[in-house]
Amino acid sequence: MYCYIYDEFTQDKRFEKELLNIENRLTDLGIAGKIVRMALFRDIREMVRDEVRRGTTCVVAVGNDETVHKVIDALSGLDVVLGVIPLGGSNGLARMLGVPDGVAACDVLSARIVEKIDVGVVNGKRFLTSLSILNFRSELTCDGAYRLTPDTEGTLEIRNLAGDATKNERVSDPTDGRLETVIRVGVRHGWLGRRKMCESVLPLSQVAIRSEKPIALLADGEEMVGTRFDVGIESGVIRVISGRGRKF
Amino acid sequence: MASSSGQETIIAQGVKVEGDFTSSGDVIIDGEVIGTVQTAASLRVGQTARIRADVTAGSSVVAGEIQGNVRVADRLELMEGSSIQGDVECQTLSVAPGAKINGRLVMGGEKQG
Repeated sequence: MYCYIYDEFTQDKRFEKELLNIENRLTDLGIAGKIVRMALFRDIREMVRDEVRRGTTCVVAVGNDETVHKVIDALSGLDVVLGVIPLGGSNGLARMLGVPDGVAACDVLSARIVEKIDVGVVNGKRFLTSLSILNFRSELTCDGAYRLTPDTEGTLEIRNLAGDATKNERVSDPTDGRLETVIRVGVRHGWLGRRKMCESVLPLSQVAIRSEKPIALLADGEEMVGTRFDVGIESGVIRVISGRGRKF
Repeated sequence: MASSSGQETIIAQGVKVEGDFTSSGDVIIDGEVIGTVQTAASLRVGQTARIRADVTAGSSVVAGEIQGNVRVADRLELMEGSSIQGDVECQTLSVAPGAKINGRLVMGGEKQG
């Protein structure tokens, strides 16, 4: 049984026609289901759990990357498959999963290629794509075995399913049980002392970030501020419908 | 001890690693490492690398500086300007002019896993 979760912004008039086409296509494919709409004071977690209790086995997020992140958080501990119908721009995540925008996504849902993917966890909160820290100069403890410190201020990115798929950049593999940890630091080179960006890449399963001063971290676009961040991975916990054009 | 997976690990210039670094994949080091370095695959030590650690690898190409014992299961290649201050154990050794080894050298022994 399918349950379609529409993000609040999809109620805008400009999506009316596209949603109608999507609903018609889903009916044609025989995968129509209950439609649930997100709203300001409705708890998405509660909504999803209610539907799963009623027999939903596949939850489809209808909206953009932000919609998917909200739904993923609500799926914690539930045995359901996640699908995506991208709508309304900023759909990098769907692109990496090989799901086209709008009505074309219905055929991908119908083909039902299900992949088990990992999710990252930072201080108990899940993230699917990546987390990043700008102006990073703190200490990392990697897999509990060694410490890593940048010489100068740089950037830190911990990727689960990330990379710029539009620029043909390699996408980190969300099925390998590892988080790709990327540290970029500017290093002075040559006679003129020009700065060259040097990139360290480490596949890790546990990262502890410690800072004396509070630092801001963005996980799936959501900001967290603190001095201690414990990052880990839950391996293969989400079953997601992907298309043939997936980037990993 | 935790370890990195079979993927490639790059420790670039501008970062310092302290502790027991273990990997089952290829490793490239251009930065600073203090402790131990262990990989079953290949290890490339770049010109800018400064390693103060005992090193164990499947095969290795060294262009930088290592202070510590180096144990390579197969082939060890020392490039021009490289330096090892410590004992070296390997199957096959290639040394470019200008490379330095200060330590005991054991070659062609029983292959290490």
